[in-house]
Amino acid sequence: MTLGSTLVLGMGNPILSDDGVGLLVAERLRGTTLPDGVEVLQSEVAGLRLLELVRGFTRVIIIDALKSPAEVEREPGEIVRYEAKDFKGGHRYGSAHSIGLDTALELGHTLGYDMPGVVTVFAIEAVDVETFGEELSPPVAAAAERVLGMIAAELAAGADAA
Amino acid sequence: MKRVTVDPITRLEGHGKIEIFVNDAGEVANVYFQVPELRGFERFCVGRPVEELARITPRICGVCPEAHHMAATKAIDAVFGVEVAPTGRLLRELLYNAFYVTDHTTHFYILAGPDFIMGPESDPAKRNILGVIGKVGLETAGAMIKLRAEAAELISMIGGKQIHPVCGLPGGVSQAITAEQRDRMVQITTGMVEFAKFSLQLFDDVVLANNDYVELIKSDAFTHETYYMGMVDENNKVNFYDGKVRVTGPDGTELEKFEGSDYLAHIAEHVEPYSYLVYPYLKSVGWKGFVDGKDSGVYRASPLSRLNAADGMATPLAQQEYERYFSTLGGKPVHATLATHWARLVELLYAAERAHELATDPEIINPDVRNIPTGIVGEGVGVVEAPRGTLYHHYKTDDKGIVTNVNLIVGTTNNNAAISMSLKKAAEGLIKGGTEIGEGTLNMIEMAFRAYDPCFGCATHTLPGDMPLEVTVKSEATREVITSVKRNM
Repeated sequence: MTLGSTLVLGMGNPILSDDGVGLLVAERLRGTTLPDGVEVLQSEVAGLRLLELVRGFTRVIIIDALKSPAEVEREPGEIVRYEAKDFKGGHRYGSAHSIGLDTALELGHTLGYDMPGVVTVFAIEAVDVETFGEELSPPVAAAAERVLGMIAAELAAGADAA
Repeated sequence: MKRVTVDPITRLEGHGKIEIFVNDAGEVANVYFQVPELRGFERFCVGRPVEELARITPRICGVCPEAHHMAATKAIDAVFGVEVAPTGRLLRELLYNAFYVTDHTTHFYILAGPDFIMGPESDPAKRNILGVIGKVGLETAGAMIKLRAEAAELISMIGGKQIHPVCGLPGGVSQAITAEQRDRMVQITTGMVEFAKFSLQLFDDVVLANNDYVELIKSDAFTHETYYMGMVDENNKVNFYDGKVRVTGPDGTELEKFEGSDYLAHIAEHVEPYSYLVYPYLKSVGWKGFVDGKDSGVYRASPLSRLNAADGMATPLAQQEYERYFSTLGGKPVHATLATHWARLVELLYAAERAHELATDPEIINPDVRNIPTGIVGEGVGVVEAPRGTLYHHYKTDDKGIVTNVNLIVGTTNNNAAISMSLKKAAEGLIKGGTEIGEGTLNMIEMAFRAYDPCFGCATHTLPGDMPLEVTVKSEATREVITSVKRNM
């Protein structure tokens, strides 16, 4: 990685149906022409291991599946754009044997690591992330196509800003 | 009591829900916990070449992929009826112990640490790894992160990949290591031993030196007299990678010791109408409900259990710690659930020492790391000690090695009954009629849960947070929520 570089990180589980969408998007992106200084990775893990992955990049764009609580009423395949600040609100720990994104980022800063200044997340509302399978549901598969355009725009905007 | 329903999953990495029902007098009537259920695993596996299961099963869970890889690889050895090449076995065990170092370290500093280092009733906003760093200092946190990175480096040298190893093949592993790699592994494992010693010292200074914590650990609210399961070597010493499964009783005596392949003769599963969880129990003792004692087949499989079920540790420093642990806590067996955290650190030291022993074994760089299978048996069981309990993989195939049947008992599942009991007992001890139920109380109840380090065989990542755990207190009569705490939103 180099100074001023961007990491696009597709996250998920390739054998839990819609949870594989982030990994698929990353794979598709690798097949496209990307601006200089953009690296694409896939990750099946989060927490502390995520911290180790994002170190050294100035900007990180994460693509992942999302399963919202029923009361939020999101449509399957809806794409929600988050920034790191949206994840603030308590450094919680359950029994995930891991830590959340915000805690991972703050931990990196606390330890004096070179951490990304900009973290953007594209989360795709999933239909099913609890059944073993390698296929995406139709709305999520369609969203994977749409999010590619959004990432391209995000990367272009980032380049302009630089 | 009506079925407890599970909310739509908030996000992956498991969704934990603890529900406490209190009666009109404000006393605990019942406690339930629920976790999500993944569907269709067997159907997903059937029809695939059995060798693939060593690469598929690690993806069940982002917490302990290495444990699934090892159990699967051992089951596949058995399906093909192939002996493992000696150096292949050494490399597998080295990888596995390095994984244990990472896993146990993470649990102590990230999950258990905040309760003890910050205090169980401290402000939840500070009861986390960042709070821990504030107390123990940046140097320790940096050392922990460095240890994890080095363990990952070691694991990838053998495993081929950092996260989901791909090295395990029937009869051994896919590649040998070079002398240079070995030298690096010796260096890394030396650091692991030092870090494990440091962590035990920290536990001494922070937990054992604080009489309130010692009393909490020993308190009746966190105690259950159950059976204990753990894998042991030929000398009845703890072994994570291989051996026989030993079960000892509430009085410390051996109940049974069996080959992993005979697990179905020893373990049965109880189901409850309100839950989709299964509750494994010891067949020879029988299911008597969610109760402890020698007449109840409830057992535990955890660091606490492994130390109870064994006669000692196979490495010198860990053996010293093992002896100190039992003498401090009043002899064997230790029934105090919260002592699991200390037991985990004793195991951390063993894992580090064992990894170092294996890295310095002259045979570790032998290039002959695999025996090629020549036949097929068509059925096999692979058992390892996963950090959260004994892990069983059982596969059946046709005569071409295509999977026809899969059965798994994962680490946490062993403890389902005990977790229920521990939650109830902690709740009963802490919630009395008329007392105010605050965040601190609910956290103490969660501590009983966290001691088991439950892992829900779920997906691997966390968005927008990590595992949401919700503790709710409800009226038994009206089912209205009296109070609740959620660790996510």
